[in-house]
Amino acid sequence: MNTLLSIKDLTVAVDEKVLVNQVSFDVPQGKIVAIAGGSGSGKTTIGLSVLRLLPSALQIRQGSIVFEGQDLLKLSSEKMRDCRGARVGMVFQEPLSTFDPLFTIGQQIDEVLAAHTKLSKQERYKKVLETLSEVELPDPLRAYKSFPHQLSGGMRQRAMVAQAIVCNPSLIIADEPTSSLDVTLQVKIMELFIRLKKKNISILLIAHDLGMIAHLADEVVILRQGEIVEKGPVERVYKQPEHGYTKELIEAFQ
Amino acid sequence: MKIKINRTGLLCFWVLMVLYGLAIFADFICPYAYQDENRDFSYCPPTAVEFQDQGRWVRPFVYGRALTFNAIHRRVYVIDHTQKYPLHFLKGGRLFGVDAPGRFYLWGADARGRDLFSRIWYGARISLSIGLLGVGISFILGLLIGGIAGYYGGWVDNILMRVCEMFMMIPGFYLMLALRAAVPENFNSVQVYISVVVILSLIGWASLARIIRGMALSLRERDFVLAAKTLGVPDIVIIFKHILPQTISFSCATLMLTVSSYILAEAGLSVVGLGIQDPIPSWGNLLSDAMGIVPVIFAPWILLPGLFIFIAVVCFNVIGDSLRDAFDPMFNEKG
Repeated sequence: MNTLLSIKDLTVAVDEKVLVNQVSFDVPQGKIVAIAGGSGSGKTTIGLSVLRLLPSALQIRQGSIVFEGQDLLKLSSEKMRDCRGARVGMVFQEPLSTFDPLFTIGQQIDEVLAAHTKLSKQERYKKVLETLSEVELPDPLRAYKSFPHQLSGGMRQRAMVAQAIVCNPSLIIADEPTSSLDVTLQVKIMELFIRLKKKNISILLIAHDLGMIAHLADEVVILRQGEIVEKGPVERVYKQPEHGYTKELIEAFQ
Repeated sequence: MKIKINRTGLLCFWVLMVLYGLAIFADFICPYAYQDENRDFSYCPPTAVEFQDQGRWVRPFVYGRALTFNAIHRRVYVIDHTQKYPLHFLKGGRLFGVDAPGRFYLWGADARGRDLFSRIWYGARISLSIGLLGVGISFILGLLIGGIAGYYGGWVDNILMRVCEMFMMIPGFYLMLALRAAVPENFNSVQVYISVVVILSLIGWASLARIIRGMALSLRERDFVLAAKTLGVPDIVIIFKHILPQTISFSCATLMLTVSSYILAEAGLSVVGLGIQDPIPSWGNLLSDAMGIVPVIFAPWILLPGLFIFIAVVCFNVIGDSLRDAFDPMFNEKG
């Protein structure tokens, strides 16, 4: 199994306070790896580190993030920008605030394509519509022309997934992608992720919902206060948790 | 996106459109060219149009006038009832006028016997365009510099904002005078016009840049900016597409308010003789004729350009205000 993303000894700190301490884990190709943990455990920080978009106060002190054979931390900022969106897509928790209210969904997905490809306007239009139907939006044409506030929460989230996959990335970082949705919609989005996985797209899933992780992920990394307490295949971790904190989490969930 | 402007705003918009229309078609509407002078009619009062001749309705005409001086050497224009000059319309490419040697001063004449009505509308071309052009330049500068400073922050922000402050720390009018002093004296009228535009815009951009910078600072923390970054959208695209358009409600309102302050600034420069030079009229230098108390007492009509400055400034301000109101509910809707 090829390793797509390999994080080694990642340490992130604000001044003296260490937020993420020597975290190492791999994301194999075509697998879903989940990072779980309570609030403030550094889940999102790891996700943003991969894209090198941490707030300026947060610094990566040491470690390497090797993605498709390249250490992302050593790339020039132009190369890094080319990588974002094209090779790595990101899905956020709250799709309403992650779309610019002044532009239509279509325009904003088109913008990503325009930034990374040399496709003509018509080709881009076709590709955006294809992607919108790929994420099973009922009426892609209408979604293309809609402003973010005109779509329902579930549709917006789909549109955001479409924006993340429009350039055919090999990795998607999904930061709490279903937290703002109700249960039935959560299931739909999870199905969507499983379909993406079948297309050999790896997903780094950041979540606190252990139920969703059990349903979706192949491997899980349990974080506490910036340190990995346990990692391994989901079934093993759920059935025979080795660490007390993992047990606590699973019990709390049940 | 629909923008609804309130009635007062709309009224002011149409008033401005009329002013701009008159300025654009000044060649057609005015009976005389702006430099057309006749020293025999210095400070000639407004000419009355007569519709009746000895009790009969006739084609409109004006009486001739003769300049005399009274006991205290004041100019007195005596109406000469033997001379009648019928008003003709659409003759020689002008909307109305009378044949020489008659003169038709709808709103009176200035010291050199030039028609104030004509000069006001030719002057409107300068006064109304200078504000728009100046605002255009300072808005491009202000949005660009404010957007870049706010988006990048750090040392970029620091340097750009210190430059802004250098422009802001000198009182506006004195900065204007200083900049004007730096312009060569032998400039022709077009060059003077351009230099006045540039001077105005150099003064106005700084405060705008500072406000835009503040808005960009908070906008760059918004999720959709982070989302655009995570998807590899180039910085310059983010600034132009996701940061600056968010400031549109503020920008539009400020744009209008700034136009009016530029119209005033041009008038200020011209009144003290540093703006547009005679014989080319602007509302400011037309008003500079009214600096002395004597002409104002004996020829009060030369204050008329001031009225038009007032109208234009009020209109731009009201439009600015109503634009701000019009954008407001949209912002509330977004929450």
